Amino acid sequence: MTITTSAPPTRSTPVALALGFLTGGVIGASPAAFVVGCVIESVPLCVAGVGLPVVYGLLFLLAGAPRRAREAAVVPRIALAVVESREAVGGEATSDVAVRFDLTVAPDDVPAYRVAFTQNINLTDLPDYRQGVVVVVQYPPDRPWRVRIVKRPTPEWEDRAADARLDSAPGPVLVSESPEGCGVGFVTLLGLLLAAAGVVLLFRADLFDGDASDKPPPSSSSPSPSSSSSSSSSSSTVVSSAYGTVALGPNQSFLTNGELRRAVGLLTKGTDSRAALTVVVKDRLLSIVYAPTGSTATTFDPDSPPYDRFPALVEEARSGLGVGSPQTWQLTVERLTGSLTVRVGVTGPDGAASLEANGQGKVVRRTPVH
Amino acid sequence: MGLEEYLALWCGAFGTVALVGYGRSLAGLTPAQRAVRVMGRIERVREPRHGSSQRDGIPVVVSFQDPSTGQEFTVTNDADHGERITAAWTGREVGVRYPRGRPHAYQFVGDLWAGRRGLGWPNFAVFLIYAGLVVFAAIDWGWPWALIGFGGPWTVSGMFYLPQNARVVNRRIDALTSQPPVPGRVIAVLTDTSTDADGDTMTSSTPVITFTTHEGTSVIAYCPDGRPDPVKSHGRDVTIHYSPDDPAVFTPDLAAESRSRSLDTAFSVVALLLGVAAVVVGVVLL
Repeated sequence: MTITTSAPPTRSTPVALALGFLTGGVIGASPAAFVVGCVIESVPLCVAGVGLPVVYGLLFLLAGAPRRAREAAVVPRIALAVVESREAVGGEATSDVAVRFDLTVAPDDVPAYRVAFTQNINLTDLPDYRQGVVVVVQYPPDRPWRVRIVKRPTPEWEDRAADARLDSAPGPVLVSESPEGCGVGFVTLLGLLLAAAGVVLLFRADLFDGDASDKPPPSSSSPSPSSSSSSSSSSSTVVSSAYGTVALGPNQSFLTNGELRRAVGLLTKGTDSRAALTVVVKDRLLSIVYAPTGSTATTFDPDSPPYDRFPALVEEARSGLGVGSPQTWQLTVERLTGSLTVRVGVTGPDGAASLEANGQGKVVRRTPVH
Repeated sequence: MGLEEYLALWCGAFGTVALVGYGRSLAGLTPAQRAVRVMGRIERVREPRHGSSQRDGIPVVVSFQDPSTGQEFTVTNDADHGERITAAWTGREVGVRYPRGRPHAYQFVGDLWAGRRGLGWPNFAVFLIYAGLVVFAAIDWGWPWALIGFGGPWTVSGMFYLPQNARVVNRRIDALTSQPPVPGRVIAVLTDTSTDADGDTMTSSTPVITFTTHEGTSVIAYCPDGRPDPVKSHGRDVTIHYSPDDPAVFTPDLAAESRSRSLDTAFSVVALLLGVAAVVVGVVLL
């Protein structure tokens, strides 16, 4: 088998940087997704937060499997080496200390070379590795910088080491670990922060604006006095088992196209279809009154009224019934008479008037100012 | 996604893992099935150095033969070579396992044929499927199902384990008392110091004893836990009861063996009763 010796790997290659960024991203995104999932009560997000590192770890293992298999198939080479210097670099509090060795390795079939590496040595065994002592080492032939001292050599190698006299080899010294570049650490941290921030930003609407609207109201079978609310600069939402309201901020109007439908969607999103008794729209306030459990009153699906027609109905009531201006108006949807009825009441300096439309938004009755 | 969908995903994922694992095992393709398993022989035993670490086991030189090539290998139990050898004598047989064609990756094993079918991961996947079903039942049908789901298998395994364990312990004590004891001596105390996350230092001491059997075999072994004041036991004489079939089965304290048997039986019975109680409570509360 031909064995090619390569140079010690450096850590700041583009691949290492990309991998560091990806790892940091997973480390950041996973807990962020889990926490955000818990806050907004999203089970899929919680599962994704837990599953992401598992899947990433599996992929990481699978991707590295061919390289590990290739390295494991290489028969390690045994050689004699002489200790040039040694220095304890850590772990003094334990019975093992990390020792930085500088060795001259003298293989039988290739020229001697110098190598520096760190290995844990038991304190009681430390005198065996004094400067100038010949030791037995082991390394993969294709990676001669990955040297490890064999603490328990076979009798044959033990005898060879006892009889050997080795000369020091000139440098340069192969280093088993290249200096830790700060580049990888930096991109890992960057990936972590960006991923965590990305998850929070992605769900910012649910976290800061609409968590109350996303929360399913308590079951209609057990009306509860508790309610949840949220507010922002644009609108505020209150939901309970008995009612739901959306109040718009200044300079907004439910008469803007699509605004009513969006507000109703906020109140009904994520809930089972619940029967409504009344829907009332007044200026910047939308209220839905839900039917209590066991109610025999006639109800309707809050999604069913023709919301797209409401602005036109209000406009017709304000301009076509002679109430003058300025005006106030109120739109009520109910089903008291059996069929869905939309009633728009409007008052102005010249009196009060009303307009009635059916479930399709078609005007069926006008009551102008008398 | 509802609870049923999560359960289906869970069972589907681990069911696939289990099926692939069982399929590979049936086809004889698992690493455990493809591994070479040979019996090695201890050629030389060296006394551990007093004060050194117990992590690497008793220093031994082992020889084994690769059955495919007939080549003889002589190896040592240097770092990362399988199970720790805690009792050794010249001529003792030890199991050696390695991937086919890679004898340099040898691992010492206590039981040469353990896990030879490579069914560990598929069995674990089946256990996870079962745990998922029990959790689903506990959430969807009522929490008493958790008591039944986990208490049932616990009780069944306890009912198998209890008599089997009692037989093993009785056989062990019979073997230890089958012949007169021999004198032994503590030749070293191995010390390991470590620090935890709070910076507290923990030290463990393992006495190493030597004794010679009636047949003349010189045994070096780590002393089992429970010796009083192991730190100061260096050089102390001890009396060793051992099994004539396997000197690795020994004790310096026969009374402690009996105490251990009683304690072990008591724990097993309590564990079994806990399982039974869990099932009964679960059924009553349903």
